[in-house]
Amino acid sequence: MRRLGLVLPLALAACAAATPEHIQPVLGGPLAPVSVVAMDTAPKEDLRMVPPEVYMRTYMQLFGGLAPLDAQKAARGNDGSQLFDNWDAYVSALGFPDYRTDIPRQTQTNALMVATFERLGVALCDRSIEHDLKAKPAHPVRDRVVFAFDLPRPGTMDATAFSPRFDVLHRTFLGYPAALAPATRVPRFLQLYRDIASTHKTADPKSRLSPDEAAWAAVCYGLVRHPEFHLY
Amino acid sequence: MCGRLRTENLSGPDLVSLMPLRVRTRCTLLLPVALALAVGLGAPRASTAGPVSAAPVPSPGARTLDDYRHFRVASIDLLGRAPTRAELAQFERADFDWNRWVESHLQGPAYVERLTRIYMDALRLEPNVTFTAGPSQLYRQEITGPDGKPTTVLYRAGQRRVREATDGEFCLSPDETGLVVRPQATAIGTPKKTPKKALDAYTVSVRPWWLYRDYASPHPTQRYLDGFTHPDAEYRPVDALLKEPDGTPTTSVRICREEAQEPASGHIYATARAKPPTAPMTVSSVAASPGATTALPGGRVKPAPLDTPYATKHKGEPVACDTREAVSMSVDCGCGHGLDRCMPNSGPGDAPAFQYPNHMPLGPGLPLDDANQSAFRWYPYWWSREAVHFLDYLFADDRDFREVLTGKETWVNGPLAQFYKTIQRGSCCGPEGAFGMHAETEPLFDPARVPADLAPQDVEKWELVPDRGAHAAGLLTMPMYLEKYASARARGAAIYNDFLCKSFSAGQAELAASDEPDLTKRPGCQTCHATLEPLAAYFARIEPASFVYLPESLFPVKAKTCKKDKAGKLNGSCNALYDAAFYDVDGPTLRGAHGSLPHADSGAAGAGADITRMPEFASCAVQRVASSFLGRPTTSDDAVLLEKLTVDFVQSGYRMRSLVRGVALSDEYRRANNDRGASSVSPPPPVVSPKDAR
Repeated sequence: MRRLGLVLPLALAACAAATPEHIQPVLGGPLAPVSVVAMDTAPKEDLRMVPPEVYMRTYMQLFGGLAPLDAQKAARGNDGSQLFDNWDAYVSALGFPDYRTDIPRQTQTNALMVATFERLGVALCDRSIEHDLKAKPAHPVRDRVVFAFDLPRPGTMDATAFSPRFDVLHRTFLGYPAALAPATRVPRFLQLYRDIASTHKTADPKSRLSPDEAAWAAVCYGLVRHPEFHLY
Repeated sequence: MCGRLRTENLSGPDLVSLMPLRVRTRCTLLLPVALALAVGLGAPRASTAGPVSAAPVPSPGARTLDDYRHFRVASIDLLGRAPTRAELAQFERADFDWNRWVESHLQGPAYVERLTRIYMDALRLEPNVTFTAGPSQLYRQEITGPDGKPTTVLYRAGQRRVREATDGEFCLSPDETGLVVRPQATAIGTPKKTPKKALDAYTVSVRPWWLYRDYASPHPTQRYLDGFTHPDAEYRPVDALLKEPDGTPTTSVRICREEAQEPASGHIYATARAKPPTAPMTVSSVAASPGATTALPGGRVKPAPLDTPYATKHKGEPVACDTREAVSMSVDCGCGHGLDRCMPNSGPGDAPAFQYPNHMPLGPGLPLDDANQSAFRWYPYWWSREAVHFLDYLFADDRDFREVLTGKETWVNGPLAQFYKTIQRGSCCGPEGAFGMHAETEPLFDPARVPADLAPQDVEKWELVPDRGAHAAGLLTMPMYLEKYASARARGAAIYNDFLCKSFSAGQAELAASDEPDLTKRPGCQTCHATLEPLAAYFARIEPASFVYLPESLFPVKAKTCKKDKAGKLNGSCNALYDAAFYDVDGPTLRGAHGSLPHADSGAAGAGADITRMPEFASCAVQRVASSFLGRPTTSDDAVLLEKLTVDFVQSGYRMRSLVRGVALSDEYRRANNDRGASSVSPPPPVVSPKDAR
């Protein structure tokens, strides 16, 4: 025991005097994946609004390339339908900046803006129906900006006849073929068409549009007010 | 309706040509070509950690929804509108070359407008100001002619006249017209027939520039819309300037004889007139007691102006007729031939003169409205158009973007040529006269460089002025910038915010009471003003809310001639231009210069040179443009992209086309839109078991 008492301090002293052992780190290899997920690290933001200048130019191009005041006159018409006020009334609602008073550009939609889009869209679609489908004599299809197609006999519009015509409007307003849209889009718009056409027959007072024309106008309203038209 | 375009387009070298584009759209019924294409499920996108990659070019015949969306986004940004069906058909062709398409659209009105919009959103260079220079503004007063019919007479406020009864007032006295005429308000009194002798003696008929294209000729005949048959579509005087009160067309205007004088220079006028013994009536007392007579000649309400000490001392010396002194100090200075040194007005005060739009976001020629606008807003409107033209020019010609702050050039049309040639000189001089400057000696825009072939009615004809003068510095010395940012600090802060992408934010400091005049030292204020005051000093030689330049030869940064009085104050003229709070053995300091005396002497041109040399100038431009095209603020994740774009931008010579090309072809731009439709969802990736991975 006494020997241990002598040896132990000596052993401890020897240990203390020895160079401490350093354990060098060894780089490990990559961890074996359990599954691989592609990850998009691009910064995410919500869809942005089409600038009001772009909206206006697109709108006027759809109106046949008219200048704003001419498009305003055409949109208002003289049939008492009160489809359009004037651009001046819509300037702030559309989100234009006012540099004079340092009001910045609006970058998000609001209820007033959406209502303005609706009103402008209705004016565009109705006037386009009049020009493209009701004009006498009819304008050649190549000269129609919006409804660049002819209608089949009234009451014969089925899915086969509807799809290519809807695709024309889909490309016009949303910029891609309807076939690439969500699968429910074409059936939903076809149902809209059918609903409008059938209820229009019993409309009172009578409309200046035929049931088929009113139905296509409704399809147009739906596309020109679609978020994909106003956002990008 | 399809393809019909406005024909009243702009002519001349106007860079901002008509929108929409002059492309006849082909309205064709297209078969859904995409149905025949592989409705591809897009491959998983690789992570952006790593070098910037160019966007994958869509392979011919395999357009995905992402491809269409990408094309639509690029069309919106570079064409300024959504793509047409014809353009979509082109996009769907097998030989569609994406890079070539982008390259071909890095030019044209839509591209230019896209970039100008970025900087106009930041700078907001449209006027909420009015402008009237004393010697150039006319007012119009309706009186009763000798025949009992209404007659209008033009005059200038404060015009000196030989006749004491009308000196400093309307050229026909209240006794002759029954009216006390006020330039800024409706006349008071009861109009009566003006004697023919007085009307003929004190007024003349002139054929003015706003009515006659050939106003400079001895006998003008080309009246607006009658002889002058093709005026620019945007040049439209209001009806009140074109018609008499009875509705007949105006063929000439009646104007006070002094205002009708044509020489370019006159002489200082002094009368040695004594102060009247009786107290004057006030306008309100005249209004309250119609018919009450005054002891003053001609029935005038206020006594005629007395001579200033300066006028007495310098009687008979020449004075330029387009300076501020011309109206108040001479009787032989007028509006020039055809009244081309003056602005019309259809009434007293701020009455309408011309028609032009309030809103023109799509550029000239495509207004959203039309309105009668006051004479006071005529030049501010054109100042704004000048700034936009300048920006358009930088982007259309792909100039070195540093010229936005350093460029000597600008574009002017008829109204601007008139303004720079003569009207702008009316802003000077007042207290400057005490320092020997009675007319601008070194204007920011040298009138001698104004094109000689522009008439005031040439609103749609724009010409390049390659060099405005020694002190010109891009936007910084344009009237619109100087009026929008009226103080030296505002001008400096705008540079800091808009061209260095920095903002002032006060540090958390206790604001202890302090009378330290130097804000770069005052506790709490210094966090911002230590930077702001030196920036403001660059504009110390351009007067606030004005564009009058104070040359170093007459206005040294330290004025030894300005001494404090016993109360420690400076006299009127010295105090107007120099700051007693920064006073030492050399005298007071030029106002605004204390932040940096060298900056004050280098001026706005020095600001432009110094700011564009800073690395933040390039990175700020890149950040603004990239953020605008990506549709979101840039973040640290964009660092690699921004760094590459900045290097390329600088190496290209600060060309915006190179920058926009880099953004438009980047992968980040393609994926900036976070929307993914159902048909472009990627298939689930394969599961790799740990055993397979080893």
